[in-house]
Amino acid sequence: MPNYKQFLLPDLGEGLTEGEILKWLVAPGDAVTLNQPIVEVETAKAAVEVPSPYAGVVTAVHHSEGETVDVGAPIITFDTDPGDTAGGPAAAAGGTPAAAGITSPAAGITPPAATSAPAEVIPAALVANPPVDAAVEPGLIGGPAPGGRTSVLVGYGPKSSTAVRRPRKPSPEPPEPTQRQPMRIAGTAVGQSARVAAGAVAVLAKPPVRKLARDLGIDLTTLSATGRNGTISREDVERAAALLATAGLATAAAPRLQSAPTAPDGPVGVADPPSSRAGGVVASAFDPATREQRLPIKGVRKATAAAMVASAFTAPHVTEWVQADVTGTLKAVRTLRRLPDFAEVKVSPLLLVAKAVLVAVRRHPMINASWDEAAQEIVVKDYVNLGIAAATPRGLVVPNIKDAGRLTLPDLATLLAELTATAKSGRTQPADMRGGTITITNVGVFGVDTGTPILNPGESAILAFGAIRKLPWVYKGKVRPRMVTNLGVSFDHRLVDGQLGSQFLADVARILVDPMRTLVAWT
Amino acid sequence: MSVASSLGGQAGGGEVAGGLMGRAAPETSSVATSTTAGPELVQLLTPEGERVSHPDYALDLTAEDYRSLYRDLVLVRRVDVEATALQRQGELGIWAALLGQEAAQVGSGRALLPGDYAFPTYREHGVAYCKGVDPLKLLGLFRGVSHAGWDPHDHNFGLYSIVIGSQTLHATGYAMGIQKDGTEDAVIAYFGDGATSQGDVNEAFVFATVFNAPVVFFCQNNQWAISEPLERQTRIPLYQRARGFGFPGVRVDGNDVLAVLAVTRAALRNAREGNGPTFIEAFTYRMGAHTTSDDPTRYRLASDLETWKLKDPLERMKAYLVRSGMADAAFFAGVEVDADALAAHVRKGCIEMPDPDPLSIFDGVYAEPTALLAEERARFAAYLSSFADGPQADADSAAATAGGR
Amino acid sequence: MAPTTLAKAVNMGLRKAMESDPKVLVMGEDVGKLGGVFRVTDGLQKDFGEARVIDTPLAESGIVGTAIGLALRGYRPVCEIQFDGFVYPAYDQIVSQLAKMHYRSQGTTPLPVTIRIPFGGGIGAVEHHSESPEAYFAHTAGLKVVACSNPVDAYFMIRQAVVADDPVIFFEPKRRYWEKAELDESATPPPLHSATVVRPGDDLTVLAYGPMVRTALEAAAAAADEGRSLEVIDLRTLSPLDLVPVLESVRRTGRCVVVHEAPVFLGMGSELAARITEACFYSLEAPVLRVGGFDTPYPPSRLEEAYLPDLDRVLDAVDHAFAF
Repeated sequence: MPNYKQFLLPDLGEGLTEGEILKWLVAPGDAVTLNQPIVEVETAKAAVEVPSPYAGVVTAVHHSEGETVDVGAPIITFDTDPGDTAGGPAAAAGGTPAAAGITSPAAGITPPAATSAPAEVIPAALVANPPVDAAVEPGLIGGPAPGGRTSVLVGYGPKSSTAVRRPRKPSPEPPEPTQRQPMRIAGTAVGQSARVAAGAVAVLAKPPVRKLARDLGIDLTTLSATGRNGTISREDVERAAALLATAGLATAAAPRLQSAPTAPDGPVGVADPPSSRAGGVVASAFDPATREQRLPIKGVRKATAAAMVASAFTAPHVTEWVQADVTGTLKAVRTLRRLPDFAEVKVSPLLLVAKAVLVAVRRHPMINASWDEAAQEIVVKDYVNLGIAAATPRGLVVPNIKDAGRLTLPDLATLLAELTATAKSGRTQPADMRGGTITITNVGVFGVDTGTPILNPGESAILAFGAIRKLPWVYKGKVRPRMVTNLGVSFDHRLVDGQLGSQFLADVARILVDPMRTLVAWT
Repeated sequence: MSVASSLGGQAGGGEVAGGLMGRAAPETSSVATSTTAGPELVQLLTPEGERVSHPDYALDLTAEDYRSLYRDLVLVRRVDVEATALQRQGELGIWAALLGQEAAQVGSGRALLPGDYAFPTYREHGVAYCKGVDPLKLLGLFRGVSHAGWDPHDHNFGLYSIVIGSQTLHATGYAMGIQKDGTEDAVIAYFGDGATSQGDVNEAFVFATVFNAPVVFFCQNNQWAISEPLERQTRIPLYQRARGFGFPGVRVDGNDVLAVLAVTRAALRNAREGNGPTFIEAFTYRMGAHTTSDDPTRYRLASDLETWKLKDPLERMKAYLVRSGMADAAFFAGVEVDADALAAHVRKGCIEMPDPDPLSIFDGVYAEPTALLAEERARFAAYLSSFADGPQADADSAAATAGGR
Repeated sequence: MAPTTLAKAVNMGLRKAMESDPKVLVMGEDVGKLGGVFRVTDGLQKDFGEARVIDTPLAESGIVGTAIGLALRGYRPVCEIQFDGFVYPAYDQIVSQLAKMHYRSQGTTPLPVTIRIPFGGGIGAVEHHSESPEAYFAHTAGLKVVACSNPVDAYFMIRQAVVADDPVIFFEPKRRYWEKAELDESATPPPLHSATVVRPGDDLTVLAYGPMVRTALEAAAAAADEGRSLEVIDLRTLSPLDLVPVLESVRRTGRCVVVHEAPVFLGMGSELAARITEACFYSLEAPVLRVGGFDTPYPPSRLEEAYLPDLDRVLDAVDHAFAF
């Protein structure tokens, strides 16, 4: 039973890609033994004799002398089990018929001498698709290999490659970019700083998004992330910027919400429809004819506006400013961060501003009061519910820290962080916003120096904390670059006179100039 | 079997005339002398198969010994020829044939005791055979399924060194270790004529002589470093280089298995007895190409080859065995049968060598593995199993089919 | 203008260099009579003589060391290191001497030595014949390091390297030696130390050099079928790097994948990733990703296909870049 085996031109030396057939040493019909030289091939490096890998009878040679053949192309086919088809009277007695296409001896006729080459009679299919021997395992020479390749030879040669991709298994979701956990090397976590692990609000955003946020003056910590993999997307930033623009918050004016006493379940706690969340500004929604967009006044916006009007035109507002060298505050922040008590909490300049306000209030209690027109009384409070104005996806809210004056600094830091996180995720509750006694508005995060903040209704003072900038400053008699900020306080002139307001502001500034000494001396 | 006892002690420093060399070395040598055998060639069996004697090297072997040596020569050549054929057929990526150098390798290999350590280059298949390494283990390297197929400690046969000459320093260091252990083992370092130009080899000579290390430097001068002839590496016969470093050198007919055996034994004994290194230059010829991808017709004459064919190591032994009556036709037929059987074993084993698992790329990088590498391996494993047409995919679909019943 | 192989193109370039300047020498193992183990120096000794095409003793350190001496005497030696894995005996001469001479001599002693090294794998070879040691040299100040990827570059770059007054390590991708291209010797080549955009694209930048350029181009062709437009840049020069087209590209595409055969850890990809991140930070939609050999010694040749970056590995990295 004929067993045809093709022999493919191997790589005869270290990566060659083709060879020229110099001389055939056998011809179709020849019986060949194992290792018998069958052909001389010339490559780029040498002329080599190729020994036969099989014992059998040559069925066909596939290239003529002088032809150049690629490595891996079939050059000769053998029948390794010629049986009775080759030569001898035994064949004449009715030997096994040869495979289709081979000139086979008719019964009783001895086949002609071996020189005639029936090469052209080999079916094309046999040559084009070498019959892969099913008994050869994948990976061994002659066997199948993934991607439709055939393992030809050990040296491979520079393989001819194709621009075809191996098919992948369908995966449930697209490949997830792992924010790779750093490897532990000898017990230490490389690349992981303790501070990052300490409950701080870590914001995820791509570099181009961060730049955009900075350019637009958006604090990323106040945004919710809707981007892929928990990151803040470009759209999130653009939405926030639009919100600020339409709410008039690009200036120093501090919006605040109508306090709950008059409307317990007022618009404050109501979830606004999503469209108003972003201020409703959608770039594509402008009427092409008028190039205008009309947004209904309702919900948070409406309440904010009403409160603003009430406050602005009831209490006579006076605003004073002071510019302070707060290098000492930044130093204190660094110092505090290193203390064990503060290992788990976020220490920021805002924390120290809050502390300064609380200490200054203790020295000037009258600033922590309110004008009760109805009762014709000024209510001075012994407790400080310190409000912090926060920009959120739903607008500006002013939650307050209850009884902040009695908190230790670490506790104050913790509550400040919680307040900010809650506000940022839009979960501030009405109770949080009730009963504030004095407020800080941090306009510095927008890159703004100061302004004329409007009082939170029911309060008599509001402090605007501006951006901290490196500016030339006369320090110890010389002009030095120092970290400088502006503090502005608006107060209700009905109960806070100029002296009180000024002293309060001056105290706040003095504390921030030298927090360590003043806090020791004054608390 | 005894070795001629003209092993005069080597005085510390100074002249090394006498001792192994038997007589003073010639003053100078021209380039011509470096490439021709010259009068200093130790020989015990002429190319015609005539047994001769040498004043410094006696060899007393039994008939069985002579037959055994011949059998080794035949088997070693047979494996080499088979491997060359396997390469031509695409079963090996490359093969470095030792054709013509059988006597140099068998003669020296048979001189080694089991405790002696051999540091080969990449052509010492004959020495490997003598040391008991299965030839199939060598083929794995040339087939590309492994970098080395054997544990060097199994037979005291080192891993093949493809970087030229580096193994001579290793051999010297190993010999220094033997010194510290105080045993009677010795080391043999193999290298070629080309290697003597490498810095590492010359440094090895320095270290070996300075520390008096028990190492035999066995140079198979097969006259060629790929296409470069001996003149490109030296102006003096190689065995005379040793003198400049301060240790004895001897040139032996590399195609004479008896002479090689005798000289190597003497040198090893010298080492064992604490007399330090010896340089043996086995003067032979690379009958084949440098490796299977080399074409020697580009740089050497066919007539050279013809000259050396007349010095064939196997032919002279066969002639001697026949003429002396120590072997008969049955013996020679038996040797051929053994050779064919060994060749068949090598062929079958080679073709059946499985491809290694891709993940084995990561095996054995370190004695103490690292976490980073483990992570890399895991990622690669996940990557490999992500393909729809891979073996893992087949396993998955097979499992799915089975589960569906 | 017949199609020329890369090996032949280097041969032609060397010939031209030797014709142009009688001080140019070629030296190395088997370069003369044999014409080189890849036939790159074929025919040169016959035409230029043994004094100018030198078969050296078998000692890489000796080759480079004596080349330095020849350069000091006014010659322009072109050394051949037969295979990448054999350059290490010469490493001391290259790094301690060749690289530093100009600096130490305050510019009075340039060493215009070119060292040609066939590098990279993919030819199914035994140990030490498939290394990618370019980072060791690029890391060394005082050396210039280049890698051609195709016959046209091979022809012009070898000529440019020979006439350069600085020492040049000239890497040739041995697996590409027999690939062909049309070579027009009269064309005007780009400067030696310049990178080339070999395939324009919009979505992601692929950086490659030497043998991986072709792999990158094949990956880009396959990616195009998937609707992704990859820009492929052939770096060509590893030291100094030409980052101008690279940065312009990444600022446009926002994503980058670097491919090389050398192991990833501390390979050329590391330097490129750092510099691109620094210069294009605000444009990056994903970190710069690197595809390279694993951090193991080069494996036996039956495993090299798994080890070397191929089209699928490149596209896998591209997929990851788009997942950010």
